[in-house]
Amino acid sequence: MPEEYVKFDLTDMKNFEYDMKRCVRCKGCKWVDHIYMPGATYSTRCPSEKRYLFDSFSAWGRLRLALSLLNGRIEFNDRFVEAIYKCQLCGACDAGCKRNLDLEIGSALESLRIKCVADGFGPMPEHKAIAEKIEKEHNVFGGPADNRDKWAKGIQTDDKAEFVYFVGCYGSYKMQGIPKATANILKATGQSFKIMGSDEYCCGYPLYSTGQIEKAKKAAQHNIDTIAKSGAKTVITACAECYKTLKVDYPKMFNKSTSDMGYQVIHLVEFVADQMEKGTIKFKNNIDMRVTYHDACNLARMSEPWVYWEGKRKLYGITEPTAPRRKGTHGVYHQPRNILKAIPGIDYVDMIRIRENAWCCGAGGGVAEAFPEFAQWSAEERLEEVDEVGAAALITACPRCKDNFSKAINASGDNIKVMDIAEMINEAIK
Amino acid sequence: MDLKNELQKIVGAGNVLDSPEILEEYSTDNGIYPPGMPTVVVKAGKSEDVAKVINLANKNSTPVIPVSSGVHFQGCTIPYQGGIVLDLSNLNKILEIDPPNRRVRIEPGVTWGQITDELAKENIRVISPLLPHADRSVITDYLEREAPVVPKYEFAEPLMTYEIVWPNGEVFRTGSASVPGYPDSPAKGTNPAGPGLDFYRLPQGAQGTMGVINWANLKLEYLPKINKIFFMPFEDINAAIEPIYKIPRVHIGQEFFLLNHVDLALILAKQWPDDYDRLSDILPSWTLILTISGPPRRPEERIEYEKEALFDLKKQYFQDMPILEALPGVPGGGRELIHMLRKPWPKEEVYWKNRLSGACQSLFFIARPEDAPSFYEKVVDEAPKYGYPLEDLGVYLQPIEQSRVCHLEFNMFYDPDDPIEREKIRIMNRELAQDLLDMGAIFTRPYGDLADMVYEKATSYTTALKRVKKMFDPNNIMNPGRLCF
Amino acid sequence: MGIPQEAYKAMEDIVGSQYITDDQVIAQAYVGRLGHGKDTGIDLEMNVPPAVIVLPRTTKEVQGILKIAHRYKINYVPASSFWISHCAPKRPNSIVLDLKRMNDLEIDEENMCAICGPGVIFSQLQEEAIKRGMYTTTPGGGSQVSVVANHINWGLSPLNYRNGVPGRRVLGGEWVLPDGELLRIGSMSTSDDPFWGEGPGPDLRGLLRGWIGWFGAMGVVTKLAVKLLPFHDEGLKPVGISPHTTLQFPEKKRIRWYNFVMPTRESLVECMYDIGKAEIAAALTKVPQQWRYIAKAGCREDFWEGWNTNEARKSINNIHICRVMLVGYASEEQLEYEERVLMDIMDSYGAKLGRTRQSDNSWIKNADSATMWMMTGAYTSVQVTVDTVDCGVKGGEGLAREKPAFTPPLMDDYGEPGWFQVSEIGHMGYIEFLQYWDPNPNQENLYKKDEWNYIKVPTLDAEWGMFNAFNMYASPMNLTGKAYGPECRKWFEKVKAEFDPDKISNDPIPWDVDEYVDKVDWVNKEDYINRDWSKG
Ligand SMILES: Cc1cc2nc3c(=O)[nH]c(=O)nc-3n(C[C@H](O)[C@H](O)[C@H](O)COP(=O)(O)OP(=O)(O)OC[C@H]3O[C@@H](n4cnc5c(N)ncnc54)[C@H](O)[C@@H]3O)c2cc1C
Ligand code: SF4
Ligand code: SF4
Repeated sequence: MPEEYVKFDLTDMKNFEYDMKRCVRCKGCKWVDHIYMPGATYSTRCPSEKRYLFDSFSAWGRLRLALSLLNGRIEFNDRFVEAIYKCQLCGACDAGCKRNLDLEIGSALESLRIKCVADGFGPMPEHKAIAEKIEKEHNVFGGPADNRDKWAKGIQTDDKAEFVYFVGCYGSYKMQGIPKATANILKATGQSFKIMGSDEYCCGYPLYSTGQIEKAKKAAQHNIDTIAKSGAKTVITACAECYKTLKVDYPKMFNKSTSDMGYQVIHLVEFVADQMEKGTIKFKNNIDMRVTYHDACNLARMSEPWVYWEGKRKLYGITEPTAPRRKGTHGVYHQPRNILKAIPGIDYVDMIRIRENAWCCGAGGGVAEAFPEFAQWSAEERLEEVDEVGAAALITACPRCKDNFSKAINASGDNIKVMDIAEMINEAIK
Repeated sequence: MDLKNELQKIVGAGNVLDSPEILEEYSTDNGIYPPGMPTVVVKAGKSEDVAKVINLANKNSTPVIPVSSGVHFQGCTIPYQGGIVLDLSNLNKILEIDPPNRRVRIEPGVTWGQITDELAKENIRVISPLLPHADRSVITDYLEREAPVVPKYEFAEPLMTYEIVWPNGEVFRTGSASVPGYPDSPAKGTNPAGPGLDFYRLPQGAQGTMGVINWANLKLEYLPKINKIFFMPFEDINAAIEPIYKIPRVHIGQEFFLLNHVDLALILAKQWPDDYDRLSDILPSWTLILTISGPPRRPEERIEYEKEALFDLKKQYFQDMPILEALPGVPGGGRELIHMLRKPWPKEEVYWKNRLSGACQSLFFIARPEDAPSFYEKVVDEAPKYGYPLEDLGVYLQPIEQSRVCHLEFNMFYDPDDPIEREKIRIMNRELAQDLLDMGAIFTRPYGDLADMVYEKATSYTTALKRVKKMFDPNNIMNPGRLCF
Repeated sequence: MGIPQEAYKAMEDIVGSQYITDDQVIAQAYVGRLGHGKDTGIDLEMNVPPAVIVLPRTTKEVQGILKIAHRYKINYVPASSFWISHCAPKRPNSIVLDLKRMNDLEIDEENMCAICGPGVIFSQLQEEAIKRGMYTTTPGGGSQVSVVANHINWGLSPLNYRNGVPGRRVLGGEWVLPDGELLRIGSMSTSDDPFWGEGPGPDLRGLLRGWIGWFGAMGVVTKLAVKLLPFHDEGLKPVGISPHTTLQFPEKKRIRWYNFVMPTRESLVECMYDIGKAEIAAALTKVPQQWRYIAKAGCREDFWEGWNTNEARKSINNIHICRVMLVGYASEEQLEYEERVLMDIMDSYGAKLGRTRQSDNSWIKNADSATMWMMTGAYTSVQVTVDTVDCGVKGGEGLAREKPAFTPPLMDDYGEPGWFQVSEIGHMGYIEFLQYWDPNPNQENLYKKDEWNYIKVPTLDAEWGMFNAFNMYASPMNLTGKAYGPECRKWFEKVKAEFDPDKISNDPIPWDVDEYVDKVDWVNKEDYINRDWSKG
């Protein structure tokens, strides 16, 4: 095989042609890791394939469509675009695939969206509408940019702090209980922090994940610059989407590695777990409740640092230098669980599909915006699982997940309580 | 040229028999069905003769009824449409004994009487059905899917591969014996499957309608030297069901089956009829029999843990069930059964099923062990309506494959020389079968009168089977009138 | 549209519009390039997109679709889990029946069977079985494989050592024949209960499959009861995070793996015979060297770093690993007994017990067959034969001697004689001979991997008298189908002519290789077509 030169550059889908061709249709991307297979039910992890059934709605199917596109066998049309976007980009496929093979499935899917937009066929109209809001007011809701730090009224921040708290659109505009709780927790541990106020733009997740990379890059660049200007070295967030976008997607967009970014991103749960070890946080209040935890895709299997790579692919597909592979092994899995288990009174129970095998809440990848019914369907399946394990409350570590679950609960009248982990911690330390 | 001459050319004059006495001999069996005369009897002397006879029969559209055993009970060798009885009893060579690969290759005329002693010399055996008649052909017993008396193997099929002459005269080898150059090939014929299709399944249960086997490979197992036997008595068949399910599932034991007092007494009686009378009185209504044996390596230790496992089960699930090492009141405690079970019924004695009245009609089928009690109750309810004495009803339950199913057999004894009794049994057999079929009994071997009722019910199966039969036997020469053909 | 409008409409009426499509974009997701046979000549040159994809839910719906296909003479391809190239259409205007919605699973605990729709996969069933103290044979081919498709087509695994070869594990069920008529097999022939495999008289399971099955060329099995076998009741605990997940064995000594290093290949074979004869163990297999290196490697590059060494090259003739699994089905005492017997046997050969992890990640519930593609990007097995243990070993060694002439394009595996294992407590041995290559089309002489696969290996097997009936579906019928039986191909033709005269059920299977090699210039067909195989 003649050598080829490839890069982890998502703006050219050809960089992932090898991965598309080498997909063997083993469906590791669909099923829960067989070792953990729980039986006849809760056995899959790809919401898209389960909902829409035809293979074009699975990772392997989309890879084949992408390949056919590259080879000129098909062109973009409405069905194709729909197939591309009815997917949460939840990364379950990527982690599943990499259990056995060295294929870059997540990147290939992102790259397909980027091409779809570049060729003028994507994203979905709802995604464009959000992009406009972000462009105008720098948030997904189109609320006034100046209102971004309204939630922080009366909260003490410190401009000299090493920590910058990246709040995100949902925390800033819709679910202000989460940032308030977060600020309280930071305060309780004596950790000073600052916020970026109206200089915090939407992280860009809704743009990047829908293939609007150019727009995403603008948002990203602004945030990167602001962080740099602030002099903070650590960005803390309580939103899984912001977390992954700042940690993984920013470097990815600019063909860099996470370690080159000049800042470190941590999620509140990492911080709290660390404080627990140091003994600087105490859970004083008894919370008598059977709870379970939902692994947000972006905090869990998709959160490993991004390592940019370019190099040769040689005979047998051997890469030189060896390409890095993010397998989802080192996601933020244990910290939230350890925290919950440490809260007195809590009867913690895991769901059936956890960590790298978790079922997406349904909101990601632009699905909540373009296909709300699909997002709800996905959340409902997860809520059934909560019921199955007999938990009274579902704890999330991402406002997007909380939002989506709450909508599903409102619609179904289910009596499961959904709480963000920041709120739960805050309750425990009050 | 007439058929007889042609046949003589194939097998030699001495092997073509058509004297009235001989024809008469082949016109009946030891069962309930009326006689039917063959046109001619041909004794095959070598396996090559078989294809030639079948080709000739095809040319003349003459029925061919293959016969391998020296004794028959189910009427399937009675030539109701005349034709050639192809007697294979002289094809009785043990072609190969291959202990390392645990296989034996034999011709169809090889009987249980013949093979058991031969193999015992090498401490090996073919697992047999329960006390088979010494003159029964080993191959045809398993072709007809008799249930092995050892249910511990997950794959209750001792028959591996064979050479068959299809009804259209083509000679074919099944499974891994299908390799070019067999038997002088590295492949020895231990894999039944293929080539392409599982051809080995088509002649099974076919009552000779799907061709003639020239030879077959069968599995060998070691012949245990050290054994223990346990008897578990029950007064109520319902109580036996849980042990029947549980015991073989922990992979213990060899022979394992349930008999009622009638069948057990028939087997254990030495002095006829006194022993029988006494035994059938004192034996428990039901006895579950289990042997535990030591393999060639560390036999005692094996027996030890299996025994322990058996008693653990008892402790856990059926504490009230006695596990006896000897049957009370039975001379020798019935322990000689261990040795009896590893051999066919002694040739010099009247076959156990014929001891009581001279003949026996066995009505058997496949069932879930848990359903056995209701099938039994049905027979108990119905039998008296035919004037059949319940005290003479034999019952045998043979677990198959660790009791995923069982072979359930009702033995009805009658005087073969009393035509009225015979007819009564025939009616009872047929009507009971219909009742049991309606209740879900699975008749995988529908002999005689049962064929029509079973095939009528098996609508889609019957249609497909007829299509298959037509492919293999376009002239319908092989044992016509059987099954649904 | 590729098929008549009325036919499409009729099918749509049966399944509902959301379960059928003729969208040609969606169809691209179904164009082959999958599983066994991927990147071989047939996959690359014969596979085409389907015209219609339909997702039936019930047997009745499948019957309806097949009847329509029959009426309009439209080729169709049933597919349950898509792990073999045969389930990609090779004829234009075909219907793919994607059976994933038929995923009903019922466990009959008392009578130890599982009644499965084709959408049920092995890891699902295995979990449900283990929960109840039983197990099934997860095929080496993968836990993601359909239980039904595997039982009717393939079914090999070291677990067959106890559980029996696959054809025996098929019980009753529903089989929609090529023309849409329903055939109920086994105990379902006369009842609604599929718990037993034999039907009245001749056993039509013989028509359903052989050493392997029809691969969709004889209609659709919509429901099948398969055997479950008793297991120990201590369960197995999943541990680890992907990719390092495994099933931990219980503390109690109910299940254990043992890796022995045998002094020679001969002793490896002999100990296998002895273990079988002693009637101990639950699985017994030899591990090919590449797999050991793959298991240790974190990625492809790691593998090659290990494999491109003298140590690896020498390992083929120097390291002979016998892997034995013992299960205390009855008790810990059983396992302890078997361990003592095993040690007696192994000691007598001077075997050394190596370090063995007490967990399982490749046979019981998970089977990582996708890793077969890890090394080079392409894989296929050419010889999958079962007869005696000895025969299996001879076959592997023979092929290893011939393979260098085809290397490259095949990957150099240093003469590895393949993967062998024992079935049915020593009554049979199984050999699988593996090839790997780089599928990049720009490679020189890439066609030689097809020549090796389709022609050379089957010819050698037939000449040697090896039972490679697997190749019935990976070599020309005119070769293997002539040599074995002999002339078993005639029966395929007859069965097809009777049940599928228009050849609409997954045509051109099983004649696809004949059709393929007809078009290429590197095969001299006269060599095998005119050959008299009766001479061996
Ligand atoms: C790397 C690799 C290793 C393998 N190793 C093994 C192994 O060790 N042991 C083993 O047993 N197998 C092995 N296999 C084979 C694999 O397990 C089989 O392909 C599988 O069992 C059949 O499942 P499938 O997903 O291919 O089924 P499918 O792709 O769904 O179908 C297989 C074939 O059957 C037909 N079919 C599917 N469903 C039905 C149905 N319901 N009715 C009628 N026809 C149907 C299809 O048309 C197709 O031709 C291996 C495969 C691969 C790729
Ligand atoms: S797991 Fe990877 S190789 Fe397997 S089907 Fe999914 S994308 Fe393809
Ligand atoms: S990203 Fe999630 S929804 Fe999309 S294909 Fe992968 S597993 Fe399915």
